[in-house]
Amino acid sequence: MASFTLGKYLPYNSLIHKMDPRAKIIVMMLLLCAIFIPAGFIGYGILVVIVTSIVLVSKLNLKFVVNSMKPMMFMLVFLLIINILVIKTGPILFSLFSLDIYLDAIMQTFYIAIRLLLMIMITTCLTATTKPLELTLGIEDLLKPLKVVKVPAHEIAMMISIALRFIPTLIEETERIMKAQASRGVDLQEGKIKEKIGGILSLIVPLFVSSFQRAEELAFAMEARGYSPGEIRTRYKQLHMKYGDYLAIVFGVLLNIVMLTLSMVF
Amino acid sequence: MSIEFKKIDYTYSVNTPFQFVALKQIDLNIEMNKVTAIIGATGSGKSTLVQHLNGLILPTSGQLIVNDFVINANVKVRNLKSLRKNVGLVFQFPEYQLFEESIIKDIAFGPKNFGVPEDEANKIAKASLKLVGLDESYLEKSPLDLSGGQKRRVAIAGILAMEPDVLVLDEPTAGLDPQGAKQMMELFKKLNTVHNKTVLLVTHDMEHVYNYCDNVVVMKKGEVFLNSSVNTFFENTTYLDELNILAPNIIRLKNMLKNHNIDVSGCDDIHSICDKIVKELK
Repeated sequence: MASFTLGKYLPYNSLIHKMDPRAKIIVMMLLLCAIFIPAGFIGYGILVVIVTSIVLVSKLNLKFVVNSMKPMMFMLVFLLIINILVIKTGPILFSLFSLDIYLDAIMQTFYIAIRLLLMIMITTCLTATTKPLELTLGIEDLLKPLKVVKVPAHEIAMMISIALRFIPTLIEETERIMKAQASRGVDLQEGKIKEKIGGILSLIVPLFVSSFQRAEELAFAMEARGYSPGEIRTRYKQLHMKYGDYLAIVFGVLLNIVMLTLSMVF
Repeated sequence: MSIEFKKIDYTYSVNTPFQFVALKQIDLNIEMNKVTAIIGATGSGKSTLVQHLNGLILPTSGQLIVNDFVINANVKVRNLKSLRKNVGLVFQFPEYQLFEESIIKDIAFGPKNFGVPEDEANKIAKASLKLVGLDESYLEKSPLDLSGGQKRRVAIAGILAMEPDVLVLDEPTAGLDPQGAKQMMELFKKLNTVHNKTVLLVTHDMEHVYNYCDNVVVMKKGEVFLNSSVNTFFENTTYLDELNILAPNIIRLKNMLKNHNIDVSGCDDIHSICDKIVKELK
């Protein structure tokens, strides 16, 4: 559980940490788009290099980002099996118990694995280098143009920031209750299936109860301080785009163009 | 039968930016069949220390002995469950761990996990509920409908039902009203004197330490600052001053009387002190 790092802000001092959150969100979106352009080996090679260097520049530990892939392994194995059974194109790689395994099946799975890895790296990079508050401000600013079509930009941003804020809290809470129930003999590692189900129940019920309580308390606390979502308010913290921020966005756009060209060529 | 910490270190989140050394070279012997208070400022490692006792936290280095159970750092521990049956740990705000639809089921949850048959577990549950001072009319109620103090009692009953030899409580009276806190402390004392259990409790209340505990362990910045009997601890004002602890009222009263040359040594409760004062003033 302690290794669960998704959505946790890591207080380093790096170039990426100093970027404007709006620019970071836009660049992240652009990178995510680029991932889904099928640009073959060269394309993914370029992306892996770029994303890895972003992670390194932001001083995050590469190992711990890659570690967040571990829970996906099961899904990937499952996917590989399905792909082997379904995809019947490309040259035959080898035969296994009279089942022909095609190159494309392996390649497809590999691409999906790479995409997943890149996605996790990029999103971790965003949340680990941006304070939740800055992230909210960024999201709110980016959604502002949509106010014309009655999109509640501020409310959405507030919801997202509350959700992000509570991820670590919920993890801590889960750990606490897990320990408390372990003290009462719940054994989630060993033990029979029936016991495990009972054990999970003993975890979920208290978590739900305390989450609802927390939500209610937070709502009261916000109301008590006069929070009203529709109000127009000024900000203490102003966001300023710098030269480098624009440069990063331009770079993101260029990357997409390169990917598109690559996908057309191959 | 013993509880021994031997050169135990514990570090949270090793090799991350959040790395934090919580315990440093803890050497500690806990006397069995006594009530031991663990005190210290917030962040001094009290909770981390007590979580070692039933293997929820395993030491980063060092050795821990609980009864005949030995835990070595970096060695895979087998059969933690039997340790957990022997050492019942009540967390801070344990009411959050309640989850069953009825109180009896929730209390019986622990013993059932340790392999006690259902009707036997229910019997123990009833007894435990009585022990914490709630009557049988509560048995079928939902634990979530109770008041905060009652929930606390039910949660503690859930641990007592496991019938551990060692009972560890992390701030069991936090947030309770004075009356409720007093009843709780009396219960722990009774568990020690009548049921012969070793009780360890983390607390901030010096009155509780003085009135209900035999020994006291003082934690300071992740280290054991002092391990002594309660009387020695409160008699020595240099410790109290250094730790910035206000002595219990009765000790302060005795010290004041001593400064006024009224000898009250040998008097341990307020009534005998009053008698002595009356006698002196006559």
